[in-house]
Formats: sequence, C-alpha cells, structure tokens
Amino acid sequence: MASVATARRSFSISPGFLAWLGLIGVLLAIGLVTAVRVFMYGLTLTNMYDTVPWGLWITIDLSAIALGAGAFTLSAVVYLFGLKRFQPIVRLAVFVGFIGYTSALLTLIMDIGRPDRFWHPWVYWNVHSVLWEITWCITIYLVIMILEFLPVITEHRFFDRFPWMRQMAALLHRGAWVLALLGLGISLLHQSSLGATYGIVKSRPIWFKPSMPIMFIISAVAVGPALTMALAFIIEWVTGKVRIAHDILRMIARFSGFALLVYGYIKFWDLAAVTYYGRTPAVDRALFTLNQQTPYNFAFWVGEVLLGILIPVILFLAPRFNRNPALLVLGGLLAVIGVVVNRWNVTVSGLFVPVSYSPGTQYILPPGTYFPNLVEWGIALGIIGYALGMLTLGVKVLPLFEEKAHA
Amino acid sequence: MSNKKTRVKVELTRRDFLTVAGAALGSVAAAQFLTTGPLSPFSQLKQSQLEGVTETGHGAATGEYHWGMVINLDTCIGCEYCMRACSAINDVAPDKPWNIVVEEKSSTGSTFYFSRPCLHCQNAPCVEVCPVGATYHRDDGLVVMDYDRCIGCRYCQVACPYDARKFNWEKRTDVNPYVPTYGTPEVERRPRGVVEKCTFCIHRIDAGLRSGLIPGESPSATPACVNICPVGARVFGNLKDPESPVSKVLAANPTIRLREELGAEPSVYYIPPKEGL
Repeated sequence: MASVATARRSFSISPGFLAWLGLIGVLLAIGLVTAVRVFMYGLTLTNMYDTVPWGLWITIDLSAIALGAGAFTLSAVVYLFGLKRFQPIVRLAVFVGFIGYTSALLTLIMDIGRPDRFWHPWVYWNVHSVLWEITWCITIYLVIMILEFLPVITEHRFFDRFPWMRQMAALLHRGAWVLALLGLGISLLHQSSLGATYGIVKSRPIWFKPSMPIMFIISAVAVGPALTMALAFIIEWVTGKVRIAHDILRMIARFSGFALLVYGYIKFWDLAAVTYYGRTPAVDRALFTLNQQTPYNFAFWVGEVLLGILIPVILFLAPRFNRNPALLVLGGLLAVIGVVVNRWNVTVSGLFVPVSYSPGTQYILPPGTYFPNLVEWGIALGIIGYALGMLTLGVKVLPLFEEKAHA
Repeated sequence: MSNKKTRVKVELTRRDFLTVAGAALGSVAAAQFLTTGPLSPFSQLKQSQLEGVTETGHGAATGEYHWGMVINLDTCIGCEYCMRACSAINDVAPDKPWNIVVEEKSSTGSTFYFSRPCLHCQNAPCVEVCPVGATYHRDDGLVVMDYDRCIGCRYCQVACPYDARKFNWEKRTDVNPYVPTYGTPEVERRPRGVVEKCTFCIHRIDAGLRSGLIPGESPSATPACVNICPVGARVFGNLKDPESPVSKVLAANPTIRLREELGAEPSVYYIPPKEGL
C-alpha cells in the first residue's frame, strides 16, 4: 500500500486541469458572494414568497439526497447481500453520497430563515414531525458515512505517522456490515420520509397521497447508483485509467435500469390508480389549474417519464446500447435530470395550486407564480461548485479506487 | 448444478442458533427499552398528549377554557376594520395581514364578505409538522408561536390549510399605516426569518385573566378585531362555558367550519349568509 501511495505522489498540473480548477473557483466564488448577501439581507432577495415559500433550494436538497442514495444501496449490496464483486465501487458510492448529503445540508442552511438556529431540531424535539425525523436521520446517516469512509481517509500517506489511527480505522472497516445495516435502515426511513413531507400535507390535494414516499424512495434507489456509475466512467475518461471493471459498471447500470422500470410502474400506478381513479374534485381542479397555467404536463411526460425513465431504461437494459460507456453515462445523466425535474415538479406544482378554503364559490387565492431569480441560481451554482470541487479533491487525494480488495 | 445446491445448504450449528436467538432477543429488549424506557422520546409526553393525536373533536383544549370565535357572514359589511385594528394592535405588515377580509360571491350570485383570522385548529396541521415544536397547542385551545425557537423552514406555512401563516422575509422597516388611527401596537414586531400568524390577541387574554376579566366580555381582554367590529359580526369567548356569549350564539345559529373534511377541528365557526353560500 505504502509504495502505491508514494508512486502517486507527484502530479503535474495540466492546462486543462487548471481551467477546471478555475471553473470550480468561479462557481464557489459566485456561491460565496451570494450566500453572504443572503445572510445579510435575508430571504427577501429570493423570488420565493408566502404563496410559494419553497422553491429551487428545496428542489436541490431533495435531489442531492436522492442522488446520494447510491451510497446506501451499493453498501447494502456488498456488505449485507454479500455480492463482493461490487466492492470496488463502494468507496466511490459512499463518497458521492457524502457529497450529496453535505450539499443538501449547505443548501438547507441557506434556505431556513434562521441559519443561526440550525441546531434546534437536535435539541427541541417534535416527534410527530416528519421534518424532525428527516433531520435526525440525515444527521445520523452523515455520521455513518463518515465512519464508513474513515478507513479510506487514513490510507492517505499523511497518516503514515499515526499508525494507531489506521488500526482504529481497520477495526471500523471490519464492522462495515454493521454500518451498512444501520445506513440501510436510516436511509430507507428518510428517503421515503422526504416524500412523506409532501404526502402527509392534507391541505394540498395533489400532494396528499400514500404513493408519495414510495415514489421518492424507489426513484432514489434507482438513480443513486446510476449517478455513481456515470461518475466512475467520467473519472476514468478524465484520468485515463481503468479504475473499475466495466462489467461491474454495466451490472450497476442494469440494476438501475430494472429499478427504473419498477419506478416507472409505480408512477403509472400512481397516475392511474391513486391520482385518476382515486381523485377527489379538489385533485381534479388542481390538475386542471396546473395544466392550464404551467408546463406541468410537459415537464411530467418529457422530463420525468421520457428523459428520466424510458430512455435510461433502454440505454441501461438493451444489450446493443449498454456495452457503450458513453451511452451508459448519457443514460445516467438523463436519469439524474429526471429525478431533479420530478422533485421540482412535486415541490413547486403543489404550491402553485392555491389553497381553497373559502366557503364561497367565486373566491380562491390567486395561483402561485415562481421562477428562481439570480440569487437562487447563484447559490445553486455555488453548491454545484462545492460538489465538483469535493469530487476533484477526492479523486486527486483519496484512494477512492482500491488497488486490491481487503479480505 | 450440484455446486449450486451445496451453496444453498445452510448448516446451522447450536452456536449459530444461540447467536441469532440472542441477537433477536437483545434487539427486542433494546427496542422495548428505547420506546418505553427513560431514553424514549415519548417518555416526556403525558398520556393525554399521546391520546390527543388520534382523538378528534376535543383536541388540544384540555384545560378550563377553549377560546373560540363565531363570525357572522350575514351581518358582516366588509368594512375591513377588523383587519386594520388587528394590523395596528399586533403591528402586522400592511401587505400581509393576519386577518383577511375579501368579497365573495355565493352560488346564488349574492355578495357577502368573508374574513379569516387564524382558526386555532384543535388538530392543527402546522403543529404536527413543525420540526422544532416552535408552534404548539396550549391547553386553552390556542395555537401559539414561539418566535425564539422557530428556524424559519416554512413547513407550517406550506401545511396550513387556511393560508393563515406569513413569513418574515426581511427585517421590517415599514411604517404601519393603521397606527395610531386603529390602535397602537401592543406586541413587538417579529424578527426576520420566523413565521407569524394571528394569536387571538393572546397578550390580552392572558393579562385579562390575571386581572380577573372575562375574555369575550371585557373589551380589554378581547381580541382587537372583535372589539372594533361596528356590526358585532364577531363573537369571542370560552367555548367550554355554555353561558358565554360565543356558546350562546353557537347554540342559537346554524354554523359551518372551513374545510371540515380535513379534520383539523378549527375553533372558528361561521354563520352563513341568509342567501346561502
């Protein structure tokens, strides 16, 4: 191990890499400047308002956590179901998961009105609140991911001087299955609770349905591993080294393809059984409003179903396509877009439909209008910069790809 | 084929069995301890609180009082005085009133005026969703905000079926146009980043009770919107006292509550206009 670490020691900075670092720096700078402004002047700088109090940032939170689901899915596959040949990708998956969850937390800090009180859910408990449960789950899961990842960090040559830390980490590594089990439980809880956040809201007809948590968790399980797979290929192209055997990545793509099929089926069930046959007049009116005033239908059928499910399924499962890495990466990225569009559609569409509580027939609140403004996009760019920067750092510094498997 | 078979075969030794059985028993004991023991999140809850979650109808008002209101849509003339007095007394931003007044058309085409404070639901969705318990039920039926605990996640605002909640998007520097014509502020402005809503003028109720006044009957212990109404369209008081004005009005008139189907059990009742809704 040590000789490998020293061999990796010297790396020169190519112009391309310098440009890449520059891009990340610019993104981070935009994010930082915007964040300072938001902290100074408050959320009034955003386009959110009382009718649509959740917007782009919540979409980023939900998407980032869903995209981090590769960590618990692939950890469970290796450490619980004993499919050891997927071992080489676990580190990358956990690392991507870590980036996803920390991105979500960073966005959340921007989104709450009182960032100075971010610790309140840990101290003041409301056990009936899904959001409280999610906060706790995410906190615990972040700790689990850090523990899962510590053995990898201690492999860095910096820790040559601290052998006791390596021994601790090795002990931790032996307990990986415990962490995987905990991670699986916690992830299953909060990934579905994110859907329940919407599903339990009685006052909003198109949110209030039992299928919401199911769709959230299945989409996360399907798309999380696909993103990890796509990133593995991209890292391979950039660094020019075959890191993870292609048949493993193809297998992950096929898994994602089947999971997306299940997701598609559940979505169809939701559309036909839950939403259509189980509809109330309020749901009817809400969907009518959405179709009249927003591109909801287009975003649903094209963004979520065609780009997010059908095309990736074909690319992942058809033998003539899934031998081509470029097409697998394309499929992975499309699936990611599908999930982001879905989270956006769920959040913003539900808020567009006015809450009609009036006893009269004429008066309802005006439908919402919302599109993120520059401040919100600025934070989004900063978060993307953070994610790309972390990924670059990980690839450069950390032994994300095991040279030999630990027994 | 034979290879597969040997792999499927499970050899269960006594030691394995004991391990598995021990782990199972241990986790049951741990679960039992964690849910009922002193570490349990439920251990601080009173039995009545646990029951209140599933019960409907009685909900949060477990004490001597249950503050409620009747709004008579038949007599309301739409003068907006209730909104203005509320905005002055509670120093509410003029563009985001706690108490709204809107013109309505009934299904028969007649005009009536609809107004809405916070309904102080007994199974309030906002209380259920708040991740930090910053909004909670008091035993007198009021739904209260703790501005010092709110983190500004706005989930309560999203969950409220009646659009009663407003968020402080910025630090307020506006001049309240209703001061002093309609009253002078009796409470502080809320800080940036927290959610606010109608309180039924809780400061008046609490102070009034302390000095022996009856909220709903003595003006200084009664919500500003009720006092100022020129046609007496709003009646306030203790729903648990059958002799209170609000209970008498409730008993003598047909009333409705908003979005009854949600089971939120609001404490505000409406007398519909004679022409119908």
